[in-house]
Amino acid sequence: MARVRTTLTIISICALALTACAKTDEPGAAQSPGQQQGPVKIGISLPLTGDFSEPGKGIQEGYQVWADQVNARGGLLGRKVELIFRDDASDPNRVSSDYESLITQDKVNLVFGPFSSRLVIPAAKVAESYGMLFVEPAGAAAEVFEQGFTRLFYAAPAIASDHYNYLADYILKLPADQRPKTAAYASLDDPFAQGTAYGLRDKLAAAGVKTVVDEVYPPETTDFAPIAAKIAAAKPDLVVGGTQFEDSVGLVRALQELKVQPKLAAFSTGPTLAEFPAAVKGAAEHILSPVGWSSTATFTGNQEMVKRYKELFGGEANEDAANGYTVGQIVEAAVNAVKCVDPTKECQDKLTQHIRQGTFDTVVGPLSFDDKGRPEQAHMIQQYVNGKVEIVLPEQAKTASIVYPKQEW
Amino acid sequence: MVSLLLQGLALGVLTGGLYALLASGLSLYFGVMRVVMVAHPAFLFLAAYLTYTVHTTLGVDPFLALPLTVPLFFALGVAVQRLLIARLAPDNLAMMSVLLTFGIALTIEGLLGTFYTGSYKSVSMEYATRSLSLGGVHLPYDKIIAFAVAGLTLAVLFAVLVKSRFGQALRATIQHREAARLVGIRTERVAGYGFGVGLATAAVGGTVLALITPFFPASHWVWIGKLMAIIVVGGLGSVVGAALAAVLLGVVEGVVLVTVDATWATMMFYVFLFLTLLARPQGFFGGRLAHRF
Repeated sequence: MARVRTTLTIISICALALTACAKTDEPGAAQSPGQQQGPVKIGISLPLTGDFSEPGKGIQEGYQVWADQVNARGGLLGRKVELIFRDDASDPNRVSSDYESLITQDKVNLVFGPFSSRLVIPAAKVAESYGMLFVEPAGAAAEVFEQGFTRLFYAAPAIASDHYNYLADYILKLPADQRPKTAAYASLDDPFAQGTAYGLRDKLAAAGVKTVVDEVYPPETTDFAPIAAKIAAAKPDLVVGGTQFEDSVGLVRALQELKVQPKLAAFSTGPTLAEFPAAVKGAAEHILSPVGWSSTATFTGNQEMVKRYKELFGGEANEDAANGYTVGQIVEAAVNAVKCVDPTKECQDKLTQHIRQGTFDTVVGPLSFDDKGRPEQAHMIQQYVNGKVEIVLPEQAKTASIVYPKQEW
Repeated sequence: MVSLLLQGLALGVLTGGLYALLASGLSLYFGVMRVVMVAHPAFLFLAAYLTYTVHTTLGVDPFLALPLTVPLFFALGVAVQRLLIARLAPDNLAMMSVLLTFGIALTIEGLLGTFYTGSYKSVSMEYATRSLSLGGVHLPYDKIIAFAVAGLTLAVLFAVLVKSRFGQALRATIQHREAARLVGIRTERVAGYGFGVGLATAAVGGTVLALITPFFPASHWVWIGKLMAIIVVGGLGSVVGAALAAVLLGVVEGVVLVTVDATWATMMFYVFLFLTLLARPQGFFGGRLAHRF
């Protein structure tokens, strides 16, 4: 535990001192004779403080694990990788100026994306205006892909509205007597969270599952009991939450207190975090969530990533770290294929074209992208079964069978 | 529909009680010292974290952390007032106190992030996830507990303010500082203790919050707007006004939530704040009593 804390402290100090540590802790990165270019500098702004600090740090760790492994393999095109982090404090204005200065002042070779759709859009605008390739780990909302970006790629299996695709298929294939008839939706007012819940809502509604509650709550909401009261009054067969952590816990607790007993409960982000079962006590059992990554999967590099993460940071890798790592894998593959890593238009164009046409083996599985930068795969569905997180959908990835209807909470 | 309204009403009253507890400290600081204490919610979550530590290391009920946190927070309050607030220039105290306490809030947030990391913490008790059913209305135990603790704390606070010599000195200081000093009240010391009492309520509020919601270092920001709205509607400086406004706003929030939606419910705080400033800037309940209790 002490080591974890020390590591975390060092990381936070590095983050605070911005580039200072990145520059000093790699003596080998100094220019060697015969190679006047120096290290490959990669500029990244992340929400290391503020609302998104927790996932922001996860992404940062993923980037660090990737850089560590690339450097162990000899770097990108024989040059060491140096990550330059900025902290945007979850502020969309700061994320823009961070990327401006990374590109113009620090003269980075590449940029990687920040966390959350809200920060990805302003960041991608800057990258686009300087003609930089922009692979990002966490901008899944539909809006991200409607801005006309030509150099943006989302390095995860699916955009928000496709997260629940496997679950929608499963529900719609149930025999008529078991098939749910009514569903309640509650979502945080956030493009990503809403995107996930509405993707499922629209598919089920089109197939005749009636929407009986459709509630949106602002991020300031602290009390979920009245929302649960509305859901209780409608007695739905399904409860679906477009949630992050605090609200997923708030909703589960409130639904439990108000004795709402749906046949199936699905929440997008909260249940995927390790803190969830303790926060809701026994109520986690049989809750479903879409998940883009699994620590047990055997996709390219996954087991090495999980192992190295543990060595560097002490804890278990999570989905955020995996998403950061995935960005690195894709860009690394592109750089090695086109043999250049300059901030020039020609080189960035070549990298962009390569990513648009290829399929990339990553820790979240093989990824390919459509012309807007949307990934073309789908998320797995996880469920708490006997207190353990199991992958229950799709069939070919499952570690346990889906439990339906769920037990009472 | 009727039962849903009743449910919303009942939940609103219970939540309003909690709001009253959380806002009482804020009202006290303003009443005693004209200090706008932006860091109050940060202290609430500091208390929540301490409760978490006591609960996880000793394995005891979260409320057993109170004998530790309440005196600690009282001492902390006296120290903050004597070492920091008392040094601010009296001319623009209200404004400078916002800046100072904003800094304190950021410091607490940073320290919590360093010591506890940014991940979510929670204190879940078995008894906090069940509810009492009366007719068709469910009353969650965690909210009943929060309401009861709030009621008890506020009752103690009133008893202290009305019955004790310290309370009388505090009220005299609030009513007229110069006059209080003339009759021999050591207003500086009283102000320090007043601040301590305010933070002691934060210790209680933090424990209750820990029981009902998960938290991370930046959690306090969503509370400051709500709590400020409550004390302005209630009449700045009036503890009774704050309590009444808290219950009123809790009920409005609960009812609007079940009849309209959550976005409107959250907005009601600011609608009431706006209306109050337009119609009765001194607050609806405190009014001319705002300077007293």
